[in-house]
Amino acid sequence: MSKIVQVDAMDAFIEETEKLQKALPNKIDANPQNVEKGLAKLVLTLIELIRKLMEKQAMRRVEAGSLSEEEIEKLGETLMKLENKMKELKGIFELKDEDLNLNLGPLGDLM
Amino acid sequence: MSIYIYGIIDSNEKISEAITGLNGANIYNIPYRDIGALASDLNTPVRNTDEDRVLEHEMALEKIMKKYTILPMRFLTVFDKKDNVISILNEHYNDFREDLDRLRDKVEFGIKTIWPGAIIRDRIENAYRKAQSDLSSSADSPGKSFMKEKFGKYKIDKEFEEEADRCIAIIDGFFNRFVAEKRLEKLKTDNLLLDAAYLVDKEKQSDFEKAFEELKASPCDLKYLFSGPWPPYNFVTKTNTSHGHE
Repeated sequence: MSKIVQVDAMDAFIEETEKLQKALPNKIDANPQNVEKGLAKLVLTLIELIRKLMEKQAMRRVEAGSLSEEEIEKLGETLMKLENKMKELKGIFELKDEDLNLNLGPLGDLM
Repeated sequence: MSIYIYGIIDSNEKISEAITGLNGANIYNIPYRDIGALASDLNTPVRNTDEDRVLEHEMALEKIMKKYTILPMRFLTVFDKKDNVISILNEHYNDFREDLDRLRDKVEFGIKTIWPGAIIRDRIENAYRKAQSDLSSSADSPGKSFMKEKFGKYKIDKEFEEEADRCIAIIDGFFNRFVAEKRLEKLKTDNLLLDAAYLVDKEKQSDFEKAFEELKASPCDLKYLFSGPWPPYNFVTKTNTSHGHE
């Protein structure tokens, strides 16, 4: 039983593997200096997860045609304000989008 | 001194041939009822980044799998004493026994597939934007414009995933009749279309390999990484063996 490894473009597979490794959460570096930022990162990650779920649910409802024009407008305004508020909070704590990433297993990455 | 565990085998007998494991140490069997844990003594700690040790672990498993059905343990499964190993064997005997029966004479193959994700996404996006261009209205309120933008992204993502599903179904169709079990992961990245692990009966191994040759010969813009046979890493039922080990 001899091992077979066949690959068409090794560089391409290495590149994708590196992307995956970057998506994995970094170790938590907890110390008194960064505890506030660490906590903000955790809380904002959870808020971002909920916000994305809400957004997806809204898109499903739009797709299904179960919302009136008025409801779409109202929902759009709410989601837009939520997104802007998140941008503001990320700015305050100097966090980038990728800092709030979560690997959701079979669902993929949050970001 | 610690005890390094490579896996659980369907035998309680002494290992007849000399197989070396981590740091060149001899591998021996710790028997329990009709199964055993393959172990070697570990005198110095191993770091999880030590590539040479990873290779030693894998080479040992490959030698073992030629002769035994093995439930491979993850790299760096270390116990501080033999009694703890026995205790795990005792506690999870039924799970191990069940897995050993299910995985007997089977091996794992891996197939990773890359597709031109960016090109496909661009194509879908262009088609969507073109279809929507006639419908756009400058009189939309900010809320409505926001929803339109998000909805467009949602539809493009959805179409991208559906295209991936269609493509994966074609690839999987080449192998389906030769496999006992499979684990398919879709779009771990935009370009990594499929990361698949197939569990294959040893007697169907050559059919499976031929199916891959047929797939490779088919005209499509895909790149493959095909590897195996491996110990059935992805098909062992996860058991919490953390009790009493490092």
